[in-house]
Amino acid sequence: MGVVKRISGCVATANAVKLADVDVICSYPIRPYTGIMSELARMVADGELDAEFVYGEGEHAQLSVVYGASASGARTFTGSSGVGVTYAMEVYSPISGERLPVQMAIADRTLDPPGDFGSEHTDALCTRDQGWIQGWASNPQEALDMTLMYYRIGEDPRVLLPQYACQDGYFVSHILGEVEIPDAAQVKEFLPPYKNHHVLDVRTPQIIGAQMEPKMGPGMQYQRYVAMEGSRKVIEEVHDEFGRMFGRKYDPWVEEFMTDDAEVAIFIQGGHAETGKTVVRRLRSLGEKVGLVRLRTFRPFPTEQVRNALSKFKAVGTVDNSVNFGISGAAGVLLTEARTALYGLGDKIPTVGFVAGLGGEMITHDEFYKMFMKLKEVAKAGKADKQSYWLPFEL
Amino acid sequence: MLEEIKSLRKAPEEEYYVPGHRTCAGCGPALQYRLVAKAAGPNTIFLGPTGCMYVANTSYGCGPWAVPWIHAQITNGGAVASGIEAAYKAMIRKHKTDAEFPNIIVMAGDGGSADIGLQALSAAFYRGHNILFIAYDNESYANTGIQTSPTTPYGAWTTFSPAGPVIPEGKKLMPKDLPKMMAHGHPELKYLATASLAYPLDLMNKVRRGLNAQGPSFLYVHAPCPKGWSFPADKTVEMGKLAVETGMFQLYELNEGQYKLTYQPKEIKPVEEYIKLQGRFSHLQPEHIQKLQQFANGRLKEVGIEVSVPAQ
Repeated sequence: MGVVKRISGCVATANAVKLADVDVICSYPIRPYTGIMSELARMVADGELDAEFVYGEGEHAQLSVVYGASASGARTFTGSSGVGVTYAMEVYSPISGERLPVQMAIADRTLDPPGDFGSEHTDALCTRDQGWIQGWASNPQEALDMTLMYYRIGEDPRVLLPQYACQDGYFVSHILGEVEIPDAAQVKEFLPPYKNHHVLDVRTPQIIGAQMEPKMGPGMQYQRYVAMEGSRKVIEEVHDEFGRMFGRKYDPWVEEFMTDDAEVAIFIQGGHAETGKTVVRRLRSLGEKVGLVRLRTFRPFPTEQVRNALSKFKAVGTVDNSVNFGISGAAGVLLTEARTALYGLGDKIPTVGFVAGLGGEMITHDEFYKMFMKLKEVAKAGKADKQSYWLPFEL
Repeated sequence: MLEEIKSLRKAPEEEYYVPGHRTCAGCGPALQYRLVAKAAGPNTIFLGPTGCMYVANTSYGCGPWAVPWIHAQITNGGAVASGIEAAYKAMIRKHKTDAEFPNIIVMAGDGGSADIGLQALSAAFYRGHNILFIAYDNESYANTGIQTSPTTPYGAWTTFSPAGPVIPEGKKLMPKDLPKMMAHGHPELKYLATASLAYPLDLMNKVRRGLNAQGPSFLYVHAPCPKGWSFPADKTVEMGKLAVETGMFQLYELNEGQYKLTYQPKEIKPVEEYIKLQGRFSHLQPEHIQKLQQFANGRLKEVGIEVSVPAQ
């Protein structure tokens, strides 16, 4: 049986890494993800976890260390935030290209400027197309569960892809929540030791990462594409099995909150969804037909599931907690992804992009309220007069 | 423990860097690679940060090694090697593998060691990983078509340091001294030496001493490049010897913080004898050659070799 504790997202993730019996961890400090590493360092020092804890000299090194360790057959963990995530950019593609199921936790932080340490999804979203599985937890329990499920998904021989397990900085990483820490024996059953036969071993010499001529490139890229697309089935299987074993059943793709008979809905990912739900509950009590759809898995993007979830509303507002300057739609990547998912339904479902919570600001109840009121207007008019609103300046 | 090789005749016959690559005729880095692999033997994993020894060896999706090899970015040879070492330590301790701990050798060029790869190299040595990091120095970014690196000598032509009326000497800067940077300030360092492909027995034994040292070991190998330096492809070994005989390169080991010479030429020749054979120096005027002579004399003094060719 597991134990229930009040812990932060950082400590929840560290507990999952310990339960996963990770072999090599590579650290580098940057707020807010640092708490995960300090907790892991303590576990190693106290003898709770037997792992090599390597002090990376930067995030680029963190990813490089786990690249080498994973290629040698070890289960690996690293993490970062903000500009640390972008500093390591060079190494993400080699890791997924060599099909190494490394896991990286990202506790979101703004890039510079503003350099204010605040949470913003921009860091992790910069990495979104590098061939990694990616999704957001909205509370500490989900952060723990996601870490375990992602190892299982990424290490599946049908997938063999690395994973970004993202959580909002501070709002999830540093806020205490009630977390059930599962029993180690049960986790071992769910997540058996990592086995990959394509590793650096002198008894079976192989060459990993050889250069190739251009005509060999498309095939290799296609394999990575096939792996990413094929992961959809594995993601569903693993969520099912996790639900059966641990009793926490997650829809792998989207969580729908009070969407039955809703006329307008917010489409969002990460911890701000929790605030949004509070506002939905309040508006429902006042008789407003509003709902919320929280995206759980961002890569691979669940196009069909998002289309099914969003196509029943009269208006949809996406909440982007990132900057994507110059992007189509003038909001953020969630707006463009949602519109792509809805493409083909014509103008039947007006979509509006909201950019909110930048720089680490809370998205307040009042702001969610304003977004819902705007969506009601849009639903009534059948179209939006403006494609995006930056809060708090434009709404 | 790998035994000392007493003579070239007694060197192992087995090759682990084998035919099947497309390095240039007379390639110095390839020649030294063969010797390194021979000395290291079968219980070895090689890492190839981007550079000539990645690109020219692994074209067409295959490579010339009879042992495992993995690509590293030009930036991160030291870090990837650290990860392999940490993985083997953990997996052996946790009984997750029954493999023996392998020799882990990084084969990095001067860019991947002295320039963009320096941070990863230094950090791996600070952390004390049990790896051998070899910097094969062909004194330029050669794989990209000969651009200056921090170890390109003063006065050398490269496509980024061409000689012209405004800059008559080409490369204006003096080269970085990577082995001396590595020799001091890394408390975990277990072994450090310089070597040259022109002295194969010395080179192979230094590889073995580095691997036997059971900790971070650094070997800096001078590897002339016919294409980049513009000399005939059959003169690579001769060029390596001349570099040592003129004092442009010195062969030593670090011994308790002191530089111990492993080969000392009977008589130091003027640097002109070395540079006159290389097209990359053909534009130099006497005053530039004097600066190179001063450079060589300075380096010789630092390792305790008496300077016998005066520089004006």
